[in-house]
Amino acid sequence: MSALELINVRKRYGAVETLKGIDLSLASGEFLVLLGPSGCGKSTLLNIIAGLAEATDGDVRIGDRSVTGVHPKDRDIAMVFQSYALYPNMSVARNIGFGLEMRNVPAAERTEAVQKAAKILQIENLLGRKPSELSGGQRQRVAIGRALVRDPQIFLFDEPLSNLDAKLRMEMRTELKRLHQMLGTTIVYVTHDQIEAMTLATRIAVMRDGQIEQLATPDEIYNRPATRYVAGFVGSPPMNMLDATVADGIAHIDGSLSGIPLPQALRENAASARDVIIGIRPESLTLASSEDAGLAIEAKVEVVELTGPELVVTSTIGSQRLTASLPPRSQIAVGASQRFNIDPSALHIFDKATGKRV
Amino acid sequence: MTSTWITTRAWLLMLPLLIVMVAIIGWPLVDTVRLSFTDAKLVGTEGSFVGLDNYVKILSGSNFQRTLITTFWFAVLSVSAEMVIGVLAALLLNQQFYGRSILRALMILPWALPTVVNATLWRLIYNPEYGALNAMLMQFGLIDAYRSWLGEPGTALASLIVADCWKNFPLVALIALAALQAVPRDITAASMVDGAGAWSRFRFVIMPYLAGPLMVALVLRTIEAFKVFDIIWVMTRGGPANSTRTLSILVYQEAFSFQRAGSGASLALIVTLLVTVLAVAYAALIRKSAGVS
Ligand SMILES: Nc1ncnc2c1ncn2[C@@H]1O[C@H](COP(=O)(O)OP(=O)(O)OP(=O)(O)O)[C@@H](O)[C@H]1O
Ligand SMILES: [Mg+2]
Repeated sequence: MSALELINVRKRYGAVETLKGIDLSLASGEFLVLLGPSGCGKSTLLNIIAGLAEATDGDVRIGDRSVTGVHPKDRDIAMVFQSYALYPNMSVARNIGFGLEMRNVPAAERTEAVQKAAKILQIENLLGRKPSELSGGQRQRVAIGRALVRDPQIFLFDEPLSNLDAKLRMEMRTELKRLHQMLGTTIVYVTHDQIEAMTLATRIAVMRDGQIEQLATPDEIYNRPATRYVAGFVGSPPMNMLDATVADGIAHIDGSLSGIPLPQALRENAASARDVIIGIRPESLTLASSEDAGLAIEAKVEVVELTGPELVVTSTIGSQRLTASLPPRSQIAVGASQRFNIDPSALHIFDKATGKRV
Repeated sequence: MTSTWITTRAWLLMLPLLIVMVAIIGWPLVDTVRLSFTDAKLVGTEGSFVGLDNYVKILSGSNFQRTLITTFWFAVLSVSAEMVIGVLAALLLNQQFYGRSILRALMILPWALPTVVNATLWRLIYNPEYGALNAMLMQFGLIDAYRSWLGEPGTALASLIVADCWKNFPLVALIALAALQAVPRDITAASMVDGAGAWSRFRFVIMPYLAGPLMVALVLRTIEAFKVFDIIWVMTRGGPANSTRTLSILVYQEAFSFQRAGSGASLALIVTLLVTVLAVAYAALIRKSAGVS
């Protein structure tokens, strides 16, 4: 049984089509992350699932029941908003219990449920306070508590961590992961933060302009991105995208003298494509000593930045830029020519015209 | 040293304004207080000191008490109706629908009209011979003869209240609408997901955002309603049989119609005192509710 199913969901605002046909099926207990840049329609899609917006076309099914036209309160979902959306005049306890209160759950039962949720989120000592007396992280917990207490079929999160500072965001991320493992509820989670997506998701839907570009596990999104767009969106620093021409199994990177012989697996697929883009993750590049054989490219080092755990080296091949993440103590001479070894299994080749993986 | 200089400079800068204010507000006020202890006439006699006579007469007279009750009813009924209609109008105008901006602009119209124009308009509507109200009620078969709405003691005050409401509900609606637009969209969405129906949502989620601004509207409108003069003066002059005579009308009659400047002044001071009490009480209320939220 699928917990959530989207069938050709479309949304248009006037002449603009914000969602261009979204298809998606989610098994119970999955943690789906909708990942994409600002304005790609993530919130719109989440609001359609919640029933806060209506799809122009298509169907939403929750727990094998079509919910088109069903009021948000009857969809068996709970939502956590980016702004937390706590009721400012109510105490934390009442905020958490409000959904139950509106569903006429008896007071005693309500208190018990609120206590339980508060205990899970470690906010028992805050129950008597008003939202204005809480820190950002505490508000976030309360907002999650409000969803938790309802025990819904699906949790919807709209960028819940984006208002927190970096350290707190990391803590809450871990917390969310722990919560998901503990409760096993189905979650749909919107973010434009790829780290959040990679760490939390069981599956990621990378969205672009109202469409799903790739729907896959984090591992697959990272290691086998379906398109150049997905490849560029995930990973930091982003994947190097080098224009190249393929002839006879050899990729000639524009601006580079030597060619890269493609590994056998890629050779067959790339045979037909002449203009391609070679994607190399900065972290799959290593320093090559001059006598090293194997796959290597030469580039001119321009800038070296130490971020702490790694040394980010920016160099150029002709007019193209190549970034490498190296161990922090690597010996690099700025301005000199440098050979980088490439792990052949980490090469990604995309068709230049379509952007699709070859 | 700097801080005393800043304070001194602040006073120096305010001085011209203070002088003007003392001249146009302070002096007349002091003179009114002086007058209120005399039996001065509007023209002719300067009057002589009579002590508290004026006050005693006014407060023990039935005229004042009756007028106070009339004023009370006028204020309570018109202001509560304006609040209710104003909030309902704001809720309506906060919805998405075609022609909303036009309706919003139109709504302000009654409030933007000068009171005298509004009053004249309603006099025409209530006119016993050719008024629109009579015509309408006749056509619906609700009355079988034209009535003089402003000419009968039983209906005059109610008719005035309706006219006052029509003029003043837009102010309340405007304030409420501004407050409604300040309710975060996410909060409304969250309450929908939480299962709050329209009434619960209004009561528990939206009302807290409305309370403060509405309190301001309530204060403004109550004080104004207590001082009401122009609309009544144009429509009924306090009649028939003094059934629409409010405090300000009484002050006017005393001081100008009956030319008793002395007791007119004391009456005016009593009204001023009442309004001040109201204003202070409300200010305290506002401060309290602001402290809570
Ligand atoms: N009510 C609306 N009326 C018209 N256009 C809208 C409306 N809501 C959203 N849009 C448009 O739909 C597109 C997608 O918006 P959406 O809020 O879903 O983006 P998002 O992916 O959530 O972005 P972000 O990361 O910034 O939150 C945007 O171009 C936006 O302008
Ligand atoms: Mg969004």
